[in-house]
Amino acid sequence: MKGRLTAYAGYQLRDYFTLRALPIVVATALAAWAFAAARGVTLAELDLTSGVEARDRVQQAFELLLVIFAFVAGAVAASGLVSHHRSREYDRVLFSRPISPVRYYWQGFVVGGIGGVVLAIVGAEVYAVAVHPVSLAGVAAYVAFAWVLVGGVAFLLSTLTAFHLAVLAVVIAADLAVDHYATAFSAAGAGPVAAGVQYLLPPAHVLVTLRGAFARGLIVDPRSLAWPVGYGVACIMIALVLLRRRPFRS
Amino acid sequence: MSTASDAGPAGAGGSGAGAVIELSHVSKAFASRSASAPRALDDVSFRVAAGEVAGISGPAGAGKSTLLAIVAGQLRPSSGSVRIDGIEPRRFVERQGIAYLPQPLALSGGWRVSDALTRLAVLSGVRPTYTKHRVEACMRELGLYDDRRVRVRSLKGDARLRLGLAQAIVADHRVIVLDEPLEGMSAESLERLRDLIVRLRAFDRAILIASRDTAELQRITDRVTLIERGRTRRVGASRPATPADTEAVFHITLHHGGEHVLAVFPTAISLGRSTYAVRVSGFAALNRGLRELLDRGALLACVTPAHAAVDSSALALNEVGM
Repeated sequence: MKGRLTAYAGYQLRDYFTLRALPIVVATALAAWAFAAARGVTLAELDLTSGVEARDRVQQAFELLLVIFAFVAGAVAASGLVSHHRSREYDRVLFSRPISPVRYYWQGFVVGGIGGVVLAIVGAEVYAVAVHPVSLAGVAAYVAFAWVLVGGVAFLLSTLTAFHLAVLAVVIAADLAVDHYATAFSAAGAGPVAAGVQYLLPPAHVLVTLRGAFARGLIVDPRSLAWPVGYGVACIMIALVLLRRRPFRS
Repeated sequence: MSTASDAGPAGAGGSGAGAVIELSHVSKAFASRSASAPRALDDVSFRVAAGEVAGISGPAGAGKSTLLAIVAGQLRPSSGSVRIDGIEPRRFVERQGIAYLPQPLALSGGWRVSDALTRLAVLSGVRPTYTKHRVEACMRELGLYDDRRVRVRSLKGDARLRLGLAQAIVADHRVIVLDEPLEGMSAESLERLRDLIVRLRAFDRAILIASRDTAELQRITDRVTLIERGRTRRVGASRPATPADTEAVFHITLHHGGEHVLAVFPTAISLGRSTYAVRVSGFAALNRGLRELLDRGALLACVTPAHAAVDSSALALNEVGM
């Protein structure tokens, strides 16, 4: 008897949209609101009738939302998978079925990525119709890019620790802080040290840097994507190997 | 250490021939800061043969759940060998699946009962056209039909245990492993479980049940092995096999010639789409019947085993007449 994992993908997709979509949107909105509040941005500044500058500010606000959404959706794609199942012991019943834990979790992760891209396209379409045109293909590619990098790191952490979201937040914050430090103190010779540290941390700063290019549909140099994509793919591969060797708690 | 003489394969494993589950000198130690921490299992050996219902009894913390988790492929033994049908348990489970009731049962609390069983039936590879009937049959068999729209998190005690049994038998598996199915069970549910075990018994199936209730285990199993502090202590006498132990249900799909089925298999029931459920006593009887069907001009498309547990109620739901 062979399990039908592919048939189960429909259930996983349904779970994504019924259980995770709303929290992702709410988390993105809250983070954007907190960021705007910290910078003192008001709704009046985003009035499109105020001219070209206001339009630029609106575009920047959209790009900020896109970055936050991409990080949250990437993290959530791997959330509720391995560590969640292990801590709640759902894996015991699931993996008494004739299915491979590796394939099950990989499929859940892919479904999370697809769900994130679909949500982003819907949101960008609404924005494009109501506010200002954006590149839907660029937005979709950007969220997929974040899924590989942020989701890949989250997927690996989820196979290693129950606190994967907290650890993910710490390593991403560390990368952004190191990048900020490297930029600010490059003249003082801090660049090489910071660059060395950044090779160990997930290159989330690249994701932040490229938001505008993707959102505006500009051509992105593939070389700038190579390291983040390679980092994310490596994390995913390691996670799959770990799952193959250690599908359960002990 | 317990040895083969007190609980070894010969003593603890029924006939030995046709063993489906086979543990040989299995030990399990969990990581502990204390070097003197006792092993969860210590040199345990036993077999469960095809057609056999075996029980594992012992006090809390004796190692029963660890043993069952090893058989279910969810823990690896520290030493010794475990085989199901001759292969390592994890590989067996990924290829064929097992019916496993873990202790405690953990399912997503937000799922409704029928949804949970449908999902697990899908993952188990139950045929799409049969899934709905199978799930309904399981719910009726275990008295969950009225709770089908209830969320899993709302089920407590006895009902939750019945859901655990339902998810285990929602698909046909050759190996059934039930961890504490008697714990907290009402008298009515206990009666259901006894009936269920009788119906699950099949000539090619191995059933392993762990419980603290030795007396009840002796009623529903052929043989009870007592374990204490990870070691096998005693093996109870085997129950003699009955003719019902060797019966099994098969699904036969015909390309044409369905009108001959009742003449050859008088108790056959139509499942629709030229598929019939037939109850026979072993492969020899099945082959005799199939030969007769072919001699009568029927053209056979497919034969698959369909274990008996929930078929009677599934068929009742699905009767379409012949």
